[in-house]
Amino acid sequence: MANTIIGSSIVIDGEISGDEDLVIQGTVKGKISLKESLFVEASGVVEADIEVQNVDIAGRVTGNIAATDKVELKADCRVVGDVRAPRILIADGASFKGNVDMDVKER
Amino acid sequence: MAATKEFSSGGTDSTVIGPSILISGKLSGDEDLTVRGRVEGELNLSKTLIVETSGIVKANVSVRNAIVSGVVVGNITASESVELTREGRMVGDINSPRVIIVDGASFRGRVDMGNAEPRPQGERPVSRPVVRPATRPATVPARPAVPMRVPSKPQPPPLARVEASSRPENKPAPPPPPPQPVLVGEAGKKKVLVKKKK
Repeated sequence: MANTIIGSSIVIDGEISGDEDLVIQGTVKGKISLKESLFVEASGVVEADIEVQNVDIAGRVTGNIAATDKVELKADCRVVGDVRAPRILIADGASFKGNVDMDVKER
Repeated sequence: MAATKEFSSGGTDSTVIGPSILISGKLSGDEDLTVRGRVEGELNLSKTLIVETSGIVKANVSVRNAIVSGVVVGNITASESVELTREGRMVGDINSPRVIIVDGASFRGRVDMGNAEPRPQGERPVSRPVVRPATRPATVPARPAVPMRVPSKPQPPPLARVEASSRPENKPAPPPPPPQPVLVGEAGKKKVLVKKKK
């Protein structure tokens, strides 16, 4: 399936929704809701509430994250916000501030 | 797709909005954007927007180039060009110095190419075919070659004469040069053959 890529010079202020993987190298403000995976790459900046199945974060995220499957905070990421998901991984080197809630019934 | 090649925007890493994605809000950036899904709201790019056949853009668009193969509802302002391809459908106004609408495209709205500017006026005569005949007479020296060659052909005189007589009327000088070598060559070969037989 064709991936959606938000390139590094792109700024989106609004809402993104869809049924496919999304890669963010640029800036997104607002809201993101996906039925698949979200990848915030090292150059990516997200100031949004996120509702996805999986999310991999290597960049910066400010906002609440709710995943139906997994949230992975990679090394060098910076995340501020509450995270809710049945599986949450925080790698060594990741910077995170917020609440973690893994007590989510799997759908 | 062919249209996208014209601009050689190349970069495969440019932004792609996939077919199942909906973006509503403001989108801006300095790179090429390919839309296969939906974008609603406002779109500002300093490069090329490509709306593919599955793409739907309901937005006011401000870009350098736009190539529309999908659907655009809204106004497009382009600093260079807007192209509606065969599959493109658009409702809205276009404001761009170059607007290309090909056969098969569907469009409703106004077009403003900014005719007040001196540039387009200078470009048009060059690109218009009307001027080509004017430049071709400069190659008139080629015409004498046509009559010259006619007498040298013993075998197809009626055809050659009809062509020669029609050519000066029809102006186009370029067509004669290509046939010239061919006819001479054929005529020459035939002559030789005839002589040998005799």
